[in-house]
Amino acid sequence: MDETDSHVRKFHKELSAGIVSLVLLGVLARARTPMYGYQIVKRLDETGEGVLSGKQSALYPVLRNLSAAGLLDSEVEPSVTGPPRRYYRITPLGRRVLREWSLAWIATRDFVNTVLED
Amino acid sequence: MTTPTPRTIAEYLEQLRAALAGADPALIQDALYDAEEHLRSEMHENRGKPEAEVLAKIVSSYGAPEEVAEIYVDKEKVVHQALSQPPPPRRPTALGRFFAVGADPRAYSALFYMLLSLATGIFYFTWTVAGVSLSLGLSILIFGIVFAVMFFGTTRVLSLVEGRIIEVMLGERMPRRPVFAERNVGLRTRILGMFKDPRTWSTLLYFVLMLPLGITYFTLAVVGIALSLSFILVPITHVLWSIGLVQIDWADHIHFNDTLIVPPLLADPLMFVLGIALLFGLLHLARGVGKFQGVLAKALLVR
Repeated sequence: MDETDSHVRKFHKELSAGIVSLVLLGVLARARTPMYGYQIVKRLDETGEGVLSGKQSALYPVLRNLSAAGLLDSEVEPSVTGPPRRYYRITPLGRRVLREWSLAWIATRDFVNTVLED
Repeated sequence: MTTPTPRTIAEYLEQLRAALAGADPALIQDALYDAEEHLRSEMHENRGKPEAEVLAKIVSSYGAPEEVAEIYVDKEKVVHQALSQPPPPRRPTALGRFFAVGADPRAYSALFYMLLSLATGIFYFTWTVAGVSLSLGLSILIFGIVFAVMFFGTTRVLSLVEGRIIEVMLGERMPRRPVFAERNVGLRTRILGMFKDPRTWSTLLYFVLMLPLGITYFTLAVVGIALSLSFILVPITHVLWSIGLVQIDWADHIHFNDTLIVPPLLADPLMFVLGIALLFGLLHLARGVGKFQGVLAKALLVR
């Protein structure tokens, strides 16, 4: 049991590295209004399963890196009740990249499925 | 686990800071900012519940301080690998090492930083001196305090901007997020904290220092570029002129009064070689200045 456990964890870690960026871009592309970190984390928490069910703290550095790469825009807004929040919204470049990534994801998914089904 | 489960936000952040000890200060600042934003949001979402209970939940969802520290250090490594250029191959000879700087993009961006630093240096200096004098002058009025606080706020933003410039051009990792202001304390304590924070004063010192540094860097860069380029171009022009390809109207009227000590046959190649050496020496200098400036900025702008 322990033997497979460490392998599964390692696999999750490696798998999530790229997928998290794709999912975050996807969530923000569908969002009507800019979202802040905590909100995105909670959105994924409701629906997330599998590789994304890791620690939520891993999402923040990814958001920052996407923003540094110009795929996301961000701004800080003070809120009346809570702490100041950093809102993220997807940029036009982000949308173009998301389209490419989605195609790559679908191709990979189909390929993996055919391999596993054989 | 050796450390006890944190019961308050402050405890959690303290443990996270301890777990990140030894990591890049800029990384620590970013990680603490993210954690604090998340923790406060979670706390806000669960108003009315005891803080310890909410934190226990956070530890299982967001991660315990040690886990978070590990995630951030890991992520930093991956990002660093993905973004940085591979180190150039080490040249075996001293001469090869000397000229290898020509292929180092960092040297050129550092040279550009040297030219830019005059403009930023003047701006930072003026801003700081004007802000400090106005704050002192207005301090006899209540408004003076408000003004001083606003001025210190702008220096924090400026220090983040300078951090961005330095990270992009000089390659020194700098914070991307500001430091969270302390919460749950009165306005008075917060303002006092701003004055007591050594970083406030070291930021001012950095901005004031940027004027003399900027002037020095700019002068060195301009003189170095002008000198080395003219040393390289003069012999070429001279040769072209002697074979009649280039006409220089006034050249024929220059009389050296027989004071030429080195014959042109020797002087031309010598100047050319000297110019090339100067140019590459300048690139070395720029790279050194870049390293120095990165260390200085990190010491004065990041806690």
